[in-house]
Amino acid sequence: MKNRLLHTPDGMRDIYNGECERKQALEAGLSGVMRSHGFRMIETPSLEFFDVFSKEVGTIPSSELYRFFDREGNTLVLRPDFTPSIARAASKYFPLETEPVRLCYAGNTFVNSTSYQGRLCENTQLGAELIGDGSADADAEMIAMAVRMLLEAGLTDFQISVGNVRFLGSLLEEAGIRDDDAEELTRLLSNRNSFGAGQLLDRLHVEGPVRKVLEALPGLVGSRDVLDKARALSEGLAACEALDRLSLIYDILDLYGVAGHISFDLGMTSRYMYYTGVIFRGYTYGVGEAVIKGGRYDGLLAHFGKPSPSIGFVAVIGLIMNALERQSAVPGEGPQRILIIYGPDSRPKAAALAAKLRGEGESVAMRVLGPGEDAKEVAARSEGNYREIIEAR
Amino acid sequence: MRYLTIALTKGRLAGQTMALLEEIGVFCEEMKDPSSRKLIFTNEELKLKFFLAKGPDVPTYVEYGAADIGIVGKDILMEEERKVYEVLDLGFGKCRMCVCGREESREKLLHQEQIRVATKYPNIAKDYFYNEKNQTVELIKLNGSIELAPIVGLAEVIVDIVETGSTLRDNGLVVLEEICPLSARVAVNPVSMRMENDRIMWLLEQIGSRLQKENA
Repeated sequence: MKNRLLHTPDGMRDIYNGECERKQALEAGLSGVMRSHGFRMIETPSLEFFDVFSKEVGTIPSSELYRFFDREGNTLVLRPDFTPSIARAASKYFPLETEPVRLCYAGNTFVNSTSYQGRLCENTQLGAELIGDGSADADAEMIAMAVRMLLEAGLTDFQISVGNVRFLGSLLEEAGIRDDDAEELTRLLSNRNSFGAGQLLDRLHVEGPVRKVLEALPGLVGSRDVLDKARALSEGLAACEALDRLSLIYDILDLYGVAGHISFDLGMTSRYMYYTGVIFRGYTYGVGEAVIKGGRYDGLLAHFGKPSPSIGFVAVIGLIMNALERQSAVPGEGPQRILIIYGPDSRPKAAALAAKLRGEGESVAMRVLGPGEDAKEVAARSEGNYREIIEAR
Repeated sequence: MRYLTIALTKGRLAGQTMALLEEIGVFCEEMKDPSSRKLIFTNEELKLKFFLAKGPDVPTYVEYGAADIGIVGKDILMEEERKVYEVLDLGFGKCRMCVCGREESREKLLHQEQIRVATKYPNIAKDYFYNEKNQTVELIKLNGSIELAPIVGLAEVIVDIVETGSTLRDNGLVVLEEICPLSARVAVNPVSMRMENDRIMWLLEQIGSRLQKENA
């Protein structure tokens, strides 16, 4: 029975020692990048009222939320996603602000999905939200910051894939595809299932230039010239506006000197329904999913009473750490600490030595010898965990 | 160059896939040696790795990026609902997902009656009965010989793959409703699709045009 006490719930785990130190160092590095872009920290509660993450907001399905009740019977939710929390807080604290608000955060999110075995339910995310700026410059700045963060983390071989949900959105509008059909087609296209999409388009009798673009969509992935290819296909369609936006963003990213990490994916969609414009994801080797996810959500803040165009993204710390590890980009660090072993007699000497070493910035642990314990034996047992073992005499 | 890893479904599907790959000039001689106890087979020239896995595990390998590409039946993709791109229909391994049972049970599917459904595919069965037929049913998950269930009275109907229907006929069962057609599919990991786009698209285009020629 005792052993049961040692377990953590499904999808939750302990992070300790070297891994924990690397994680915190990574978080500190990434926070530094966000601060250098003028973002200020915010902490929101881990628990929020259910309405903050309701269906109208368009975050993850409510079946995947951890839910609780407070004493009055209100439903509370462990935050599955930071963006709605930040949108709520920004609407509350900056209702009259007309200039952009820049907020960044670090914390854990909770998604209760048991079906993904091997995937954690609790994840540390670091992110930033730029609220009240609808310009392409804001889009580009956020994407450039995402690139800088991945570079700071120590990754070199990665791509930020950029799309625009308005591109597919205006194509669907133009073709008159709505509701369930639109949902189904979006699902097929985001799965790159050209075959299934073709069948559905046949059934819906979609013809003409719109159909051509829709059919080409799964292949519209790659470098800058994808935008030109898409423009040639969608000449005269409203979807061109979405392409103009992406070209402008690319030009600005070029100014920031990060265009080398950018690729485009016009068929990209997100399970978050609140995205209204540019969306982007960071991909790298070694992990099967995006390490950075973000996009523009111009309608979300109106839900909380402060209509303002906004864009944000999160970096998933655990995934970045996995990627670093699997790409062996983690510098192999030996043990850093110093251990001082002392008997009760040499306590004053040990204390003085510890104070001196700590003053020099060392990490020092103390080990007092019990009755009958031998300093050599203790030292032998502790070897490997410490850089240096000193016996105070 | 990095290796592209391809997960194949053990059994007949793997053989058919390798035959198709040979037609486009992708060989893997190691795999043909029946005495080999290797788990991973490589093609050094094209930097490809292959391995065999049980069907339901193939989408899992692909989802986590342990394999870049997977060849697997549509039934398994539907059942597992993994986050992978389903990019191509290979056209072989054709069969149907069906609701089967005794002829007398046909009536029970018409009146929203609460019935018991035995299946190896609880997600597919649930989606079909709940979302398409709006019928509340009790699902019983089995792991094989599903046809037994209606015969021994464990369930009224079953949801299973039907290829020729001969097993059904031999046991006095019939197809009552068809849920969807099935065949072998190519699944791709979303990250691999970005990071190795050129090589994967090349492979897919080769296979795609080969399939078109066959159909023409």
